[in-house]
Amino acid sequence: MTTAAISIRDVRMDYPTPDGVKHVLGGISYDVTEGHYVSIVGPSGVGKTTLLRLLTGLAQPTAGEIIVAGKRLSGAPEGLAVVLQDYTRSLMPWLTVERNIALPLRNEKISKANVRQRVKESLTEVGLEGSERAYPWQLSGGMQQRVSIARALAVRPRILVMDEPFASVDAQTRFDLEDLVLKVRADFGITTLMVTHDIDEATYLSDDVVVLYGKPATVSDIVSIDLAFPRSQVETRNDHRFAQMRTRIYEKVRGLS
Amino acid sequence: MPGVNRRIPAGLVSAVVVLLIWQVVGSVGPLAGDSFATASEAIVALIGLFADSQFWVAVFETLQMAVIGFALSMVIAVPLGLLIGLSRFTYRSTKFTFDFFKVIPPIVLIPIAILVIGPSIAMGIALAVFANVFAVAIQTAYGIRDTDPTLLETMRCYRMNAFQQIRYARLPSAAAQIAVATRLAATASLIVAVVAGLVGGAPGLGRLAALYQSAGTADRTYAVVLTLGILGLVTSRLIVRLQRRAVFWSGR
Repeated sequence: MTTAAISIRDVRMDYPTPDGVKHVLGGISYDVTEGHYVSIVGPSGVGKTTLLRLLTGLAQPTAGEIIVAGKRLSGAPEGLAVVLQDYTRSLMPWLTVERNIALPLRNEKISKANVRQRVKESLTEVGLEGSERAYPWQLSGGMQQRVSIARALAVRPRILVMDEPFASVDAQTRFDLEDLVLKVRADFGITTLMVTHDIDEATYLSDDVVVLYGKPATVSDIVSIDLAFPRSQVETRNDHRFAQMRTRIYEKVRGLS
Repeated sequence: MPGVNRRIPAGLVSAVVVLLIWQVVGSVGPLAGDSFATASEAIVALIGLFADSQFWVAVFETLQMAVIGFALSMVIAVPLGLLIGLSRFTYRSTKFTFDFFKVIPPIVLIPIAILVIGPSIAMGIALAVFANVFAVAIQTAYGIRDTDPTLLETMRCYRMNAFQQIRYARLPSAAAQIAVATRLAATASLIVAVVAGLVGGAPGLGRLAALYQSAGTADRTYAVVLTLGILGLVTSRLIVRLQRRAVFWSGR
C-alpha cells in the first residue's frame, strides 16, 4: 500500500463577508501519494488558492483536517517549499540570488560552506549556474522563476507547493519551465501540489489531476494521468490518450459533464 | 545644440538666468534702491565674508544644529516608526496624532522654545527634531506596514520567524520610504536651524542674516541667503546620492 504524504480530510472553509458567510470549500477529501505530482484545477474563483493556503498552513480550515507526516497541520509543515506565480513579489530585490536562496536555510543548522554548496547545486539544477551574485531584477522573468525553484530545492523539501508557477512567463519560457519541473521530479521525486488554470499543463506534468467544482467547491473528479515518463512536449501532447484526458478534465472544469 | 548640452549642465544655465534677472531687477527694475542688493553686490559681499571668522563660525553653528537635529530625529523616529508599524492597531491609532503634529510648523514653537530652552544651539536642535520626528516615524511605519504580503507569506511558508521577517523583509522594504523621509528631513533640518536663528535668536546663519539686515547691510544679508542656498543644494545632492546607494533596488 502506498503512503499518503498529505491527507486532506473533509476540509471545509467559510469566509465571513458583509453579505453573510461565504462557503468556499465544502468538504474536500483527497490523499496525496508520496512522491506524486498533483495538479489542482477548476474554474476561476472556485477556491484553488484557498486550498493551497490551507495546505501551506497559512490559513486554518473551518472544519476538517489536513494530516502531514502523521501530524495535524497548524502552520507551515517542516520540509515545505513554495513557488508562487508572482516571482517579483516573492523574491527579495535587496538580496542577491545567492542570499535569496540561502535565506530559508537560516533555520537549518548547516555550515556556511554547506549553504554555499547547496545554493550552487540548486542553481545548477535549474540551469542558472554562476548567477549567485546577480540581483533578481537583473534577470528575465523565466530566470527569476528558476531562482524561486532553486530556492525551493535548496531546502531539500518533502513537499513542494506551487501556485500558478508558470502563469507570468511567455509561452516558450513556460515550456522550458515545465520541462525543468519534470527534470526536478525525475531527480528528486518530491511530493508536489500545483494549482494551475492551464489544463494542458496539468495533464502534461501530473500523476493526478484533481478537479474542484461548485459553490462551495467539492472534488468533482480525480483524473489519473498514467502517461509514461519521461514525457516530452511533442510526443506526450500528441498522444491520443493525452487528448482524451485533457478533454475529460476540460469538461469537468466547465461543468459540462 | 547637442554639443553645447553635453558641455554645459542644464542647471547652470537656469542659475545664470536667475542671477541676471536678479541683477536687472535690483539695478534698474522695481526693486532698485538701497534696501535691496543686486546679485553682483551679494556675490562680492559673500567673497568678503569668506575672510570673516564670524561668518565661518555661523556656518559651523548652523550645520551643527542641522546635522545633530537631523541625526537625533532619525535615531528617535526610525525605531519608533518600526515599533508603530509592527501592529496595525498602533499604526492606525498613532497615525492620526502624528499627522496632526506633522503639519504644525516648528516656527510656532519658537516662543515656547525660547522660554524653556533659551536662544541657543540646543533650541535649534530641539526645533529640528520636532520638525522631523513625526513625519519620519509615520513614513517608516508606513513602509513597515506596506511590506508586500506575498513576501511575508513566502517567508512564513519557509518557517521564518517574526524577527527574521522584520530583519529580511519589513526593514528593507521600509528602507525606500525611510530614504525619502531622510531627504526631506535633511533639508527641513537646515531650514529650521536657520529659522531658529532668524526668528528665535539662536546662533548661526539665521541670526547673522538678521543682524546684517538690522545693520542695513543688505548685500551681506543676501550673501548669507546665497550661502544657505548653496548649503541646501549640496545637502540634497549628497542625500540623493547616498539614497541611490542605500536602496539601489528601489524602482526596479
